[in-house]
This record gives sequence, structure tokens and C-alpha cells, in this order.
Amino acid sequence: MPHSGMRFVTGHIVRNEGRGGIFYRIEASIPEPVAFVPGQFAMVSGWPGNDPLLPRPLALFRSGGTRGKGTVEFVYKVVGRGTALLSGMHPGDPLAMTLPLGRGFDLDRDGRVYWLVGGGVGFSTVFPAAAALGRRRAEFEMFLGARTREELPPREWTPGESAPGRIHACTDDGTSGYFGRVTDAVRERLATVSAEDAGRLAILACGPAEMLREIASLAASRGAEAQVALENHMACGFGVCWGCVVAVREGDRTAYRRVCREGPVFDAREVVW
Amino acid sequence: MVTPDLSVPIGGLTLKNPVISASGTFGYGLEFAPFYDISRLGAIVVKGLSLAPTAGNPPGRIVETAAGMLNAIGLQNIGVERFVADVVPRLDDAGAVYVANIYGKTADEYEQVAERLSAVPSLAAIEVNASCPNVKEGGMAFGATAEGIAGLTGRVRKRTRKPLWVKLSPNVGDIAGIAAAAEGAGADAVSLINTIVGMAVDHRTRRPRLANVTGGLSGPAIKPVALRMVWEVCRKVRIPVIGIGGIQTAADALEFLLVGAAAVQVGTANFRNPRACVEIVDGIARFLAEERIGSVAAYRGTLAT
Repeated sequence: MPHSGMRFVTGHIVRNEGRGGIFYRIEASIPEPVAFVPGQFAMVSGWPGNDPLLPRPLALFRSGGTRGKGTVEFVYKVVGRGTALLSGMHPGDPLAMTLPLGRGFDLDRDGRVYWLVGGGVGFSTVFPAAAALGRRRAEFEMFLGARTREELPPREWTPGESAPGRIHACTDDGTSGYFGRVTDAVRERLATVSAEDAGRLAILACGPAEMLREIASLAASRGAEAQVALENHMACGFGVCWGCVVAVREGDRTAYRRVCREGPVFDAREVVW
Repeated sequence: MVTPDLSVPIGGLTLKNPVISASGTFGYGLEFAPFYDISRLGAIVVKGLSLAPTAGNPPGRIVETAAGMLNAIGLQNIGVERFVADVVPRLDDAGAVYVANIYGKTADEYEQVAERLSAVPSLAAIEVNASCPNVKEGGMAFGATAEGIAGLTGRVRKRTRKPLWVKLSPNVGDIAGIAAAAEGAGADAVSLINTIVGMAVDHRTRRPRLANVTGGLSGPAIKPVALRMVWEVCRKVRIPVIGIGGIQTAADALEFLLVGAAAVQVGTANFRNPRACVEIVDGIARFLAEERIGSVAAYRGTLAT
């Protein structure tokens, strides 16, 4: 049985493939299979030397394997030196990982209808949720946003094509799917939903901060639940550096909570935007 | 192969090995229990404790720099009472040797925290943080001058019988003089260096990268500075010197022992590799065994200049 205990492992890259020079998908072998909740992540490094010094947080995309032989996959976009170096690594190279980390999406309650919203590379966090919902035949729709067609996730990475979910692809420039921002598509779709159905809605979102803020306010306006997966600079990823905090409302006061430990998934109503 | 003796005496305390986790990089210690048996370390220094819980600085708090990182956390912590009530029993259960790093806005607050912790039987030592660059009051305000450090050390000394370590700032002109002032005021050991004040800005947005504007630089980038300062202080004081700054490997740790440090603290390396401290313990043992050196004591301070 794969276990969900946090661990630090050195695995080896099995494949590391780019798609259109934008998104990469990396798979590594690890000593034991890992079970994770969608939304959880890993701290990943492996490039030689001390620069950059820190590992990079990547959403856990998929895991598999059998006893004594696990695999784990991540999807990433090259945004800086760390991910650029990662994209240059080859099969056989070692990959150091601390995983699984953080608190993932709450997918457990019965009677909900799920909408998954992924902006940019944020799809790498919501696809595992779609896969989990698809496996248990839960009702969901997925909204994917990108600036332009080439930046939408590759179709073959989309989980469960046969699943009952509906996928709304959106591009800012109208080159594919809905012409406009993903939040506009969500707003329009939300307007078609009855108050009763909106109350059963759980919106799960990952993407740029501005998108998440808008999703939070859209959900609040219709009394829907929203769970947002936040990103931040992190040094450790497991709660000891206190570098990744975000301001969260707790009763009538605010407190700094760690994105890596109390998050990355937060109830959107708690976040001080 | 002989098994080398790794134990080191630190001001009235004998540690089973010279590897100590640095304050602010190791949480309250328990966070590392999933990765290894934390009782294997010479000691754990917990995150800086203040009298009352502290909220810390607003985000962004960290930024990566070349071979290092800047932080401006602002000593967010649960406060001394919750530490004693909730954390101490669990550290005891884990068999950990632990040291409390303490911090106050005023000398009074340092005294009160020290006094409260002195009543905790399993606490191995108190480390006075007179060097945090990221808080407006306390911290560096005491650590910047020999008079400041002597005054604070003397006052805390009167309130505790626990071994007293004083953690020094590198953001000073004469670190050896400041270490000597701590020694003169009753410190049992000095630990150095804390982070070096630095800053990072974004040339496009024209904004600082840290909300606090400036922060403390740590990581391998600061190791040469730390090594030089430890070497200078070792030549000046008689009390044990605990070397800190950019240690990532057993070789790094050995370099600090070579220039005279009695022990080392490992900080930022814990972020990249949660097993860094215990790997350094094993690496030191392996090196000494391979070199047929019987003990850390036999290796310490043997730099040929």
C-alpha cells in the first residue's frame, strides 16, 4: 500500500518531457509509492551546486507503483533558474524530494457539485482533483484558463476524458474555446445556476493570485464554497522556516498561516486578499 | 576501524556530538521527527522564544539570492508559556537535547523569559539572541556594541543557572571584542554568526523584494565570512565558540572545527535537505575514522597557519 507519510527521498528521473517549450512533465522513481491528496505538493531539487540553493515547490500530479518501487510525476512551467535547470535534467539523474506536503483539497463531503478552475500552470494542481473525482463518478466541471491556445494544457494530460466532467477551455485572446478570462467564464456559468445549486457548489481553484481573488468573490456572491490553492516563495516546504505565510482571518483577528503547512489549500473566505 | 569519540564539552554541558541545529531553521524540533531520530543530534536550538506569542513580519518574508537566501521572518513564535506546556513534554519524549533561543524587546523581557525557562529541568541551555536583524526593538540593539552585549548578558546571567550561550551578530566592526564582552559578563559560550544584513530589489517593479526591505542573509554565500569571524573569536576568548554560517556538509562543519570551534550549528541547509544535520553527524564520524583521528577534540583547532 502506498503511504501518505512525509519523507525525504532521492529518486531518479524516468522521463522529463517538454510540450511546446512551455510545460514539462517529469516522472521519477522513488523507493516506496506515495499516496497524496490532490492539492498536496513536493519540494523538488536535483541540480548540482548551491545556486539556486532552495528546492522548488511542485504540485503532486500523479503517483503510482508497487511495494518497493514507486513513481511520482510533476508538471511544471519554466519560470526561473530553478525550473530552467530542472528542464535540462535527464533520465537517470537524481531528484531529491520532500513529500507529500501540506493540506490538499477537501473532496470528501457528499452532495457537492465540484467546479475545478485552473489558471496557467495551475491546471497541474486541479487535474489530480479531477482524476480523483472522475474515479468515483462525482459530478464536476472544469474551467481552464490560458493567455493563448499554446498555453492550454496538452489534451493528453487531461485526466479521464471519459469522465462525466465538462471541460471549459478559455483563452484571453480567443484562439481556443471561450474568448475571455477564465473568471469571466466562471461568472457567466454561475449566473445560470439556481440559488439552491449554488449552495451545493464547491469551487476548487489554483492559478494567479488575481484569479483566485476573483474566484473567492464570485463564490461568496452566490454563497458557494471555494477552496483556493495558494502559491508563495518557500524555503523548506514543511513548516519550519515560516517564510511562506499568508494573512488569514480567524474570528475577528488576522493571523499569519503557513502556505506549506496550514495550506496550500485554504477556504477562500478565510484569506485576507 | 575505530569509532571516534564525537563528544564535545560546551560550557558545563557535554554534547554527544558537535552538530546542533540552528535557531529559526528547525522549528521546535519535532517537525524533523518524521525524517530521523532527533535525539541523534548534539543539540537542537529551537526557534527564538519571546515572552508573549509574536505575529512576525508581513509577507514577503524570504527571497532567494545567489547561493543563499534573505529572510525577514520577524521571530514569529508561540511564546514561552506555550512552548513549556506543549512542546517541552514532546521533546522529552523524543529524548532530544534542546536549547532555547530567547529574545525580548527589552532587557526585562529577556530576563523574564530566561527565568521562566530556568524552571524547566530538561532544558540543556539558553541561547540569548542578541543579533536578530529583523526586529526593530531588542535583538541587534543589544548585539551591536560590547557595552550592549555585556549589559544584556550580565542581566540574563543573574536570572539563570542554565548554561548561557550568547548568539552574536556579524553586523559589527569588532566581533572578537564583542565576544570578549559576552565572556566577561558570564556567558558560557558564544555562537556565531547570525545572518548578515542584506537586501534585494526588483529593477522592473522598483520595489524591495522583502516587505521589511532588509533581511538576514544565510546559506553557503556567507560561509567564508562566518569562518573568518569564528577564527578571530576563537583566538580571543577562552569559552567555547559555536560556529554557524553556511554549513551544508560534514566538510563545512569540519572547517569550523579546524579553526577552533567547539561545535557547529547547521541552519539553512535544513531547508534544502531535512536530513542535513544527521548526515553531517555521520559524515564527521566517517571522516575521523578514515583519517584515524580518535576524537573531535583531537582534530579541533589544528589549523596550520
